[in-house]
Amino acid sequence: MADIKEMECVEIKAPCRPEYVGVIRLAVLGIASRMDFSFDQVEDLRLAVGEACAAAVERAEKNGRQNTDIVVRSCIAQDRLTIDILDNAGRREELPADFNTDSDPRSIADLLITLLVDEVNVFGDDEGTKVSLVKYSGQPHA
Amino acid sequence: MPNVVDDKVARWSDENVERLFREYAETRDPAIREKLVVIHQNLVRYLASKFANRGESLEDLIQVGLIGLVNAVDRFDPNRGTKFSTFATPTIVGEIRRHFRDNSWSLKVPRRLQELNAAANKASEKLTQKLGHPPSVQEIAKEIGATEEETLAAIELGNAYETVSLDSKLSNEEDDGKQTLTEFLGETDSGLEDIETLRDLTKAMEKLEPRERAIIYYRFFRDMPQTEVAKKLNISQMHVSRLQQKALKRLKDILSN
Repeated sequence: MADIKEMECVEIKAPCRPEYVGVIRLAVLGIASRMDFSFDQVEDLRLAVGEACAAAVERAEKNGRQNTDIVVRSCIAQDRLTIDILDNAGRREELPADFNTDSDPRSIADLLITLLVDEVNVFGDDEGTKVSLVKYSGQPHA
Repeated sequence: MPNVVDDKVARWSDENVERLFREYAETRDPAIREKLVVIHQNLVRYLASKFANRGESLEDLIQVGLIGLVNAVDRFDPNRGTKFSTFATPTIVGEIRRHFRDNSWSLKVPRRLQELNAAANKASEKLTQKLGHPPSVQEIAKEIGATEEETLAAIELGNAYETVSLDSKLSNEEDDGKQTLTEFLGETDSGLEDIETLRDLTKAMEKLEPRERAIIYYRFFRDMPQTEVAKKLNISQMHVSRLQQKALKRLKDILSN
C-alpha cells in the first residue's frame, strides 16, 4: 500500500433512499472523469456503483432502515479508482452461487457489477455491508 | 410486445427449460434454439436497459444482446450444472460493451449526450424567458423529458466538448474583435494549381503547328493585336483569326483530356 499517501479521497454521505442513487452516480461521473478513463469506462463505473447502491437501498427498504445513511468513498490513485460503498441497511443475505433470472434479478445485478469493474470485494455483518470496487486506469479494459 | 414475451416465459418451468437445453444439445434443432432464445429474451432486455443511457438506442442494444444470447444458447452445456442465466450474462454483456467500443468515435461524446446538451441549452433559454428567471435543473429536465441525472450529466460533459463556431471571435477585446477562427485556417495556395496548369499548357502547346503556336504566343503572352500578328507572320488578319480559333480549340481539347 505504498501509494496510499498519494491517494485523494472524496466521500459522500447520503440517505439510503432511491432518489440519492442518481446523485451518487453523478458524483462518480465527476470523480472518474478526473482520471484516465474512457467515456465507456466511466459509464461502466457509474453503472456498477449505481447497482451496488440500488442493492443497499432495496435492502434498507426491506429491513425498514430507510433512515440510515449510505457512504460512498472514492479514492483516486495513480493507476486506479477505488470506490467503497458502505451501508447500514442490515444483513445482506447470502446469494446462491447460482441463480436464474426470474427468481433473482438482484443476483444478475451482482454478476453485472463483477463484469464492469476489475475487482469486487464484499464484506458484511448484521448492520450492513461494505462493497469495494476497483477499476484500473491506463489500460485498455474491455 | 413485452407482455407477449412474459406470457410465453411463464409457460416454461425450470424443468422444461432444462429439458429443452438437453434436447438442443443433442439435436441442434433450430426450432428448439429459437424457443430457448425467446424464453430468455427478458434477460437481454434487463441487461440492455442498464446500458441504455449511453447514447445508443435500447433497441440496438437489445439486438446486439440477442446475438450474445444466441451464442450462449449454442455454447451452453446443460450437464455442467450452471444455470443458463449465470452462463449467458457475461456473453450478453460482452456483446453490448463491444458494441459501444466499436461505435465510439474519436471524440467519444455519444450523439445522444450532445443532443441532450443542445436540448438542455435550448430549454434553459426558453424557460428563462417564460419564467422570468433561470430555470432549475428539475425544470429543464422536465422540459426535455430526461431525468435530472441525465440532464446534469449532459450539461457537465456536453460543455467539455462544446463545438466552436468558425465565426467565433478569438478575442474579447473590442479592438481586434474582428479576427475569427476562420482567418487562421489554412487553405490550398492557388499558385500551386497555376504551376500545374502552366506545365500542362506548355506540353499542349508543343502539339500545335508552329504557326498556331506563334499566334497563341504573340496574342496571349505578348498581348499583340491580331493585325500586328498578321503583319509579323505575313498573312491576313482574317487568317490569323481563323488559325487562332482553331488553335484554341485544339488546346482546349488537349487540356480537357
